[in-house]
Amino acid sequence: MYISHNSVTNLRKNFIVIFQIVAFSILIGRLYYLQIIKGPSYKGIAEANRIRVVPIEAPRGIIYDRKGQIIADNESQYNIDVIPYELRQTPQADSILSGILGLSTNQISTRIKNNWRGQFIPIKIAEDVDFQMISMLEEHRLDLPGVIYSLEPVRAFPNNVHLSQALGYVREIAPRDLLRSENQGYKQGDLIGWKGVERQYENILKGSRGFNFIQVDAFGREVGRLEDRSNVPPVPGSDMYLTIDLDLQMFVESLVEGLKGAVVVMDASDGEILSIVSKPDYAPGVFAGVVSNSIWNELLKDPDLPMFNRATQGTYPPGSTFKIIAILTALETRSVDPEWSIYCHGQYRLGRRIFKCWDAKGHGRMNMHDAVVHSCNVYFYNLIRRLDLEDWANMGKVFKFGSETGSDLYGEASGVMPDVNYLNRKYGEHGWTDGNKLNLVIGQGDMLVTPIQMARFSAALGTRGKLVQPHVGLKYIDRKTGRMNTFTIKSDSIRSILPSTWEFIETAMNDVITGGTGRAANVRNVPVFGKTGTAQNPHGEAHAWFIGYMKEPNQTIAIAVLIEHGKSGGGIAAQIAGKILNFIHQQTAGQLAVNSASVNF
Amino acid sequence: MHRSISKRFTGFISSLSNLNRLIIVIVALLCFIGLLSVYSASLNMAGSFFQKVFGRQLIWLVVGCPIAAAIYFLQKKLIYDSAYILYGIGLVFLLIPYFLGSSVAGTARWIPIGSMGIQPSEFMKVLVMLAIARFLASTSYSNLDFKVVIIPTIFSLVPMLIVLKQPDLGTSIIYFGLLFPMLYWAGARLFHLFIILAPTLSIVTAFNFYTFFLWVVVILVVLYLTKEKLWVSLTIFFLNLVLGSATPFFWNSLKPYQQQRIMTLFNIGADPQGAGYQVIQSKIAIGSGGLFGKGIAHGTQTHLKFLPEQHTDFIFSVIGEEYGFVGVVVVLLLFLSLLLLCFYIAFRLKDRFCSLCMVGIASIIGIHVIINVAMTVGLMPVTGLPLPFLSYGGSFLITCFILLGLTLNIGTDKQY
Repeated sequence: MYISHNSVTNLRKNFIVIFQIVAFSILIGRLYYLQIIKGPSYKGIAEANRIRVVPIEAPRGIIYDRKGQIIADNESQYNIDVIPYELRQTPQADSILSGILGLSTNQISTRIKNNWRGQFIPIKIAEDVDFQMISMLEEHRLDLPGVIYSLEPVRAFPNNVHLSQALGYVREIAPRDLLRSENQGYKQGDLIGWKGVERQYENILKGSRGFNFIQVDAFGREVGRLEDRSNVPPVPGSDMYLTIDLDLQMFVESLVEGLKGAVVVMDASDGEILSIVSKPDYAPGVFAGVVSNSIWNELLKDPDLPMFNRATQGTYPPGSTFKIIAILTALETRSVDPEWSIYCHGQYRLGRRIFKCWDAKGHGRMNMHDAVVHSCNVYFYNLIRRLDLEDWANMGKVFKFGSETGSDLYGEASGVMPDVNYLNRKYGEHGWTDGNKLNLVIGQGDMLVTPIQMARFSAALGTRGKLVQPHVGLKYIDRKTGRMNTFTIKSDSIRSILPSTWEFIETAMNDVITGGTGRAANVRNVPVFGKTGTAQNPHGEAHAWFIGYMKEPNQTIAIAVLIEHGKSGGGIAAQIAGKILNFIHQQTAGQLAVNSASVNF
Repeated sequence: MHRSISKRFTGFISSLSNLNRLIIVIVALLCFIGLLSVYSASLNMAGSFFQKVFGRQLIWLVVGCPIAAAIYFLQKKLIYDSAYILYGIGLVFLLIPYFLGSSVAGTARWIPIGSMGIQPSEFMKVLVMLAIARFLASTSYSNLDFKVVIIPTIFSLVPMLIVLKQPDLGTSIIYFGLLFPMLYWAGARLFHLFIILAPTLSIVTAFNFYTFFLWVVVILVVLYLTKEKLWVSLTIFFLNLVLGSATPFFWNSLKPYQQQRIMTLFNIGADPQGAGYQVIQSKIAIGSGGLFGKGIAHGTQTHLKFLPEQHTDFIFSVIGEEYGFVGVVVVLLLFLSLLLLCFYIAFRLKDRFCSLCMVGIASIIGIHVIINVAMTVGLMPVTGLPLPFLSYGGSFLITCFILLGLTLNIGTDKQY
């Protein structure tokens, strides 16, 4: 066959050949770029494509009391997940599931839609379901393909103790906290301690999350375990011990139940808090799993502020308990002799104003000792006029009033320790008078303290000047090393005060219990020292205070009790303190008996 | 019986020229690599052996060989004479799916036969090429004016428009694309090729004001340099201007999936779930293959089904992932040698029709390879073109074997 002559030029042939070679070179160049230069990075992407990382939450460390009784541990919460694709295989699955969970089918499909990550990826539709639901799901296992449940550890509180505000709670980390440097390594949705011990000791209590690696296909369907990568098991957080005495704590909580107020009981020598109560409070279990909005709002909007730790965050006028500062000032500056006395008619006149004693009948002749024992206001009105206000304020500052105690309880208030500067600033240099001084000396006016500051003050009086740092953290067992680590707590000492001064205060405070305003706080066979206070409150009944300490043979127990609107310190506050101190005494006596019994045996 | 078959086979082999033997070896290697890759891609598919993609591909290969042999033994005169008739029949078959109302994958590509179907548009590639070759064979190299050039252009435009309506962008690119090398080979003026190509570029550049402006400037420069008659230049200029301006309106009448596919060209990776997803997963598969690949049947992208269309249009990604850079370079070099061999033969052929056929065959294969590979590595939009001899697909594989048969047939022209 010959039709016509092929007469293509060399030029045209060569152009086409070169065109092809160039085109293929570009393709090979591109492949070189993808496979050789970018190869490692694409390898990583391909790995991430096929591996689904399933996080396994780690339980937090267990919180024990000082004796090893459990305050907070963990339990497993059941969550219900569905695999959308499998669920859709059975038409009636939706209605069965809705019947068991008590959710409408609409609600279920909304939850699936909102958390959608793929046809074959489990989606959480219910959290913290009870065991009954799980067993009902088990019954319908065959009708409900693609419905699975997962376990997630949440806080549990096996003992009936509250310790609410001091313990704090765990919640999902807030978006703004994610930005803070100390929260590096947290992701959206992670749990973190928000308040109290859970927050303070977050680094100890939090566990490290584990991971399961699962090979998935393009649809997210599991196709098996990875051979080249082993799962990382979760590591629980370290267990820790608090200084709290669970039995005492529960006893104190029962005493204050129904009242508003705070109690701090502490070992005076080292600041270990044996019991810290702020009422009203809440059962910590409400924060264990998912906190419903209604519970949150109820707690946040409650006018009695159950979330508020009155022991560390509440500031109150100290009332007569603060008269001890005036005594210390008088004795230490030697401006007034202890035997100096005045006659109390039940009131004191300053210019045209009349300052009343709490006993309108008057106390009669009062020296320093009797004035403390009977808490005579008139004596202190006279006394403060003989003292320099700055000396008095300095004495308050020696006991660190006006600043936080530095305890390990998050969010402490500092209170107010007014001095001349403070009054000048607040009222103007000539805007305040001796009247302010008269109020301050009986712990009224601008003076504000927290119950935990008062507990430390009591401890300092009971130890003759040891200024401890109150704390609830005792020790923890490091999960990695298995070793017990005890927290070292600093403490200060006040050395300037004369032994004779301590002697005087101690005698007077002892007599308050044996024959003064604090008789209700007496404990048989153990010396108890105390001071009552009734702080006037413009918003209602006066707040009742009792501060003091009890000297057991091996231990000095400091205590501060505040009852809002408790009317009189010698009444309800001293009574509660008395019950607490009796409880502690019986506890130690019982222990001593057990100890000696075991020795005799 | 057995003996006679084997005798015929050895007789057939010994009758081949050395060049033809080389072509057969290259094609056999490509088919073997393709079969391995299709096997790997279909490993996790359900169904019995011959229901699976791999089993079917094996059947197509077995069917393809005698078809290629039959075409090898055809008289060249017969091919030449029936080129127009076959083209006409091809057009009728191309229209059949529209009357059948077939709904496979929502397209009008298929004529159903039993449980399978044939795609007439694949075979049409050969018929368009033959028709153009026959027409150009009757012209002479040194005297190809525009009136002559316009006829082959119509040959390719008619099936192209039918296929675009299906819609099948890839196949229409082949009908149009094979026109240019053949015209060029036949001796068409570059200016005429420019006139034919210009409307396409006017449409493509019209999506952006600046690219269109630049293109208009290029048209003006070309028209000025070629010093054509003024009315010719003005007609060409305004025709392209109007076409470019009308394009945005036409764009809105396109199907969203067509728009999506075209848009992927300009914005690859913007939508991982849409058309860009294929390109991203394909690049990951190829890139993660590295130098030596992950090994046969060890590609995670392939076996965990991250790769879409892995046994058809994206078979090259499977090769890239499992055999690495070494594997893909081998495949590309095989294709390049096949193409260069074709052009070598085309250059040496004395007969104009045979030479043009050879160029047409090489163009069909070359355009498929370049566009398919460029698409899997993210250099071109996803146009849905398979890889010759490697991709799964009966109609296209048989078409490739028809092309092979033609190559062997024409390559043995005694008129060297």
